[in-house]
Amino acid sequence: MAMKSALKSIRERGLGSFLRELKEEGFLRALLDGNLMQTKLHNRGATLVGVDKFGNKYYQKLDEQFGRHRWVEYAEKSRYNASQVPPEWHGWLHCMTDHTGDELLMLKPKRYGLEHRENLSGEGEEFIYHSKGHFLNPEQRDWSRYQPWEPSKKE
Amino acid sequence: MGLGLLASRAMRPLKYSNSRVFIRSIVSKPELQSPEASSAAAATALEPDLPPRSPVGGARVHFPNPEDAIEVFVDGYPLKIPKGFTVLQACEVAGVDIPRFCYHSRLSIAGNCRMCLVEVEKSPKPVASCAMPALPGMKIKTDTPLAKKAREGVMEFLLMNHPLDCPICDQGGECDLQDQSMAFGSDRGRFTEMKRSVVDKNLGPLVKTVMTRSSVPHNFWLNRCVRFATEVAGVQDLGMLGRGSGEEIGTYVEKLMTSELSGNVIDICPVGALTSKPFAFKARNWELKGTETIDVTDAVGSNIRIDSRGPEVMRILPRLNEDINEEWISDKTRFCYDGLKRQRLNDPMIRGVDGRFKAVNWRDALAVVAEVMLQAKPEEIVGIAGRLSDAESMMALKDFLNRMGSNNVWCEGTGAQPNADLRSGYIMNTSISGLEKADCFLLVGTQPRVEAAMVNARIRKTVRANNAKVGYIGPATDLNYDHQHLGTGPKTLLEIAEGRHPFFSAISNAKNPVIIVGAGLFERKDKDAIFSTVEAIAKKGNVIRPDWNGLNVLLLNAAQAAALDLGLVPESSNSIESAKFVYLMGADDVDLEKLPNDAFVVYQGHHGDHGVYRANVILPASAFSEKEGTYENTEGCTQQTLPAVPTVGDARDDWKIIRALSEVAGMRLPYDTIGGIRSRIRTVAPNLLHVDEREPATLGPSLKPEIKSEMDLTPFGSAVENFYMTDSITRASKTMAQCSAMLLKK
Repeated sequence: MAMKSALKSIRERGLGSFLRELKEEGFLRALLDGNLMQTKLHNRGATLVGVDKFGNKYYQKLDEQFGRHRWVEYAEKSRYNASQVPPEWHGWLHCMTDHTGDELLMLKPKRYGLEHRENLSGEGEEFIYHSKGHFLNPEQRDWSRYQPWEPSKKE
Repeated sequence: MGLGLLASRAMRPLKYSNSRVFIRSIVSKPELQSPEASSAAAATALEPDLPPRSPVGGARVHFPNPEDAIEVFVDGYPLKIPKGFTVLQACEVAGVDIPRFCYHSRLSIAGNCRMCLVEVEKSPKPVASCAMPALPGMKIKTDTPLAKKAREGVMEFLLMNHPLDCPICDQGGECDLQDQSMAFGSDRGRFTEMKRSVVDKNLGPLVKTVMTRSSVPHNFWLNRCVRFATEVAGVQDLGMLGRGSGEEIGTYVEKLMTSELSGNVIDICPVGALTSKPFAFKARNWELKGTETIDVTDAVGSNIRIDSRGPEVMRILPRLNEDINEEWISDKTRFCYDGLKRQRLNDPMIRGVDGRFKAVNWRDALAVVAEVMLQAKPEEIVGIAGRLSDAESMMALKDFLNRMGSNNVWCEGTGAQPNADLRSGYIMNTSISGLEKADCFLLVGTQPRVEAAMVNARIRKTVRANNAKVGYIGPATDLNYDHQHLGTGPKTLLEIAEGRHPFFSAISNAKNPVIIVGAGLFERKDKDAIFSTVEAIAKKGNVIRPDWNGLNVLLLNAAQAAALDLGLVPESSNSIESAKFVYLMGADDVDLEKLPNDAFVVYQGHHGDHGVYRANVILPASAFSEKEGTYENTEGCTQQTLPAVPTVGDARDDWKIIRALSEVAGMRLPYDTIGGIRSRIRTVAPNLLHVDEREPATLGPSLKPEIKSEMDLTPFGSAVENFYMTDSITRASKTMAQCSAMLLKK
C-alpha cells in the first residue's frame, strides 16, 4: 500500500522531488528519531483533521485505543515540543472538546487576542521568562516610585 | 519554654500563698438545677447589671438648657438627653451603634434607607431611629428579634440591586454595605431576577462613579452625596432623576462637579458608587499604612491621614478635627499627592559653566555654597523661605543667616514690610470654628473659596445655619453662598469706614460681626493704610469686644503664620536688588527679575519648579510627607507633620541641610536634633511648641500706632489665580493639572 503510493508519486513527480519531499516530511530524520518514526507509522490509515497555521498536522483514528486516537505531527521535525501546539488546537488534541482548532479560531478575541508563541526557554538567556523585577528581564521594570526632575529637559 | 523563662518563673516569688490558687474546685449550684429557682434567678437578673456602656465614639451630650432634659430608656438603661435628640442620637449616647446608611451627622436627615430601624415600646411598627425624635419616657429596644429581623429585611432589599462587585470594587474593605451586610444581613439572598443597571456618569477627573452600585430599590436612595453637594459644598450639580426603580442620581446635564470639595463625596458614600479616580485600582485599603499628619497646601492646616504603601503615597484622607476641617478636606489637599512623585529633586546639583546642572555629592555642593557665601558681604546675603517651609527649618535659616551677619530673611507671600509685631494682625482671631457664631461677614480682598476652601465651607455653614449676611469687596467671584458684592477696591472700604455705605449698618447692627482680610493684600504697597481702615471699621462697628474678636486675616500659605511668629521679616524692602547671594528655601514664587545677574542663587527644595531655573546650586530637601515639621495654621493653631514615606534619592530634611551648611561655613548652629531646634524655637515663639493648641493673640490692634497714609484706589486683585495649582507640589501634580484644565475652563 505504502510502496504503491510511493511508486506512484515517483512516477508522477520524478525521483528528485520525491526524495526532497521525503526529507522535508522528516522520513530521513525518522530513521534516527524513534518518536517521529512512531508518529509516522501511526499516521497510516488515520484521518487528517486539520493543519494549523504553523503547519502542525492533527490526526485522528477512532479505531485506536482511546487516548491514543488523536495526535499531532509537528511541523518542526527536529526540535518539536508540546508548546508549539496553539491554544485553539490544544483542546481538541487533549479531548477537552470535539471542536477542531479551525472552528475554535472563530472565538479568538479580535482586539486583544495575542498570537501564539512557543515556549523558547532553554534556547538562550533572552528567551527565558523573568518576572517583571528580575535583574535579567530585558524590560526590567523601574522600581523607583518617583520621577526625578531632569535638568536638561527644559534648559 | 526556654531555660531562662523557667528560671525566672522559679525565682519569682509566688503571688498567692493561699493554696486555693493551685486547686481549682468545681462547684455546681444546686439551687440553679431546679426550674423554679433558676427562673427566679433570671427574673432578678433582668435588672440591668451589665457594665454601663460608654457612648459611641466618645459622643458627649451638651445640654443647652438643663430643664429641657428628657429621660428615655435604651435597652433598659435610663438615659438623660436634651430635647430634640433623635432616637438614633439617644442610642449613640447610650453606647449602642445603630447601623445606618443614609444618616450622616453633618447632613440633613433623609430617613430613606430604613437601616436604622429599632423597636419602640407601644409602637406598632419598628421606627426609623434617625428621623424619629426621642420623646420623654420612650422605651427603645435595639436588640430585640423584631429589630434584628427588620434590619435583615432591609439589608436584603438594599442588596437586591447591588452588583456583586466587591472583588473589583475600590471600596472593598472599607465599605459600609460590606460591613453591615456581614453584621446584620442574611446569609443568603432570595433575589433571582435581573439586577438593575445604570449608566455611569462622568463627574470629572476626581470622582469615579459606578452608578449600578448605588442602585437600591425604589426611592430608598442613600443620596448622601446629593445632600453633601447641596448643603456643604454648595453646588446644585447632583440631583435625582426619574421615579421608582428608574430613579437615578445625576448631574442634570452631565455637568462636571465644579466644587472644590467634591472629593468628600468619596468618603461619605457608604457604598462603592463614588470612588476616587486617581486611586482607582491602585491599592487595597488593608495594604496601606496610615500616617496622621497635616496638610500644607493652604493655610488651613487640614488634618489628614496619608495612606502609603512602601515608599509611595497612595492617597490622602481627611481626619476629624472639629476646630479646623471638621471631616472634610479640599480637593487640592486630597488629590495633590501625585505631585509628590513627580519632578522630584533627588541629588545635589551644581550649574556648570555651560549652564547645565551636574549632579554632585553633598560634600562638594555644601563646600561650593559655603565658599560663595563667605565671599559675599553680610548685607548682600538674602534668605527666602518658601510657602511650604516648616517652622524648624525657618528657625534654622534665620539663625544661620543672622550668624552670617545678614538680617534679610523672610517668607514668601508676606510682603515687603510685614507686620510681625502684633500677632492679632496676621492670624484669624475668631478661629475657624468661631466663625459659626458670626452673623455678619465682611470679606476684604479675599476669596475664601479658592484661598482656603475649608474656611469657606465654614462660612457657608454659618450662612445656611443663621442666615448670616456676607459682604464681599474684591474682584467679582463666585462664592457658593448668598453674598453682596459691595465693590472691588479700597473705595468701598473707605465708604464703609466713613459709615456712608449701607453695609456699615449691617456690621454695626450685627451681634457677632466678622471681618476677614485676605493675605493677598500683604503684597500691596498701601497695605498699612488698608489695615488701618479695616481697623477703623472694626472699631466703629464694635467688631472687637472682650468676648468677641471678629477681625481676622486669612493667610494663604502654610508657612506664613509660623514665619511671622518667628520674626522672618526682611531688614530692607529692596534687598533683592542688591543681593549677591540668595538662599531660596523652597521659595518658588519670589520675583527674581530684579536680581543682579551675578548673584549666586541656592535653591533648596523638593521639586524642580520655578525657583530652580535661576539657581546655581540645588540642594534636595524632603517634602511635607517625608519629614517631621511644625506648621501653624491661619487661626494660630500649631500642628505637626509626621513622616509617612522615606525621602527620595539623596534628599535631606531642610533644617539638617542648613545645619550642615553652617558647619561647613564655620558658623556652627548649636543644635543637632529636632528637639534642640525646638528648644531654640521656645525662646522665640513658645506657642509653636504647644502642638494641636490654638494660641489666641493676646494684644489687640489698638496698640498699633496711627498710620496716616492714603490708600491707593486700585481695586483688589485675586490672590489665588488657580485654586488647583498654588505651590510646587500641586504644580507638579498631573491630577491637579487635569482639574485646572477641565474645571477652570469656562
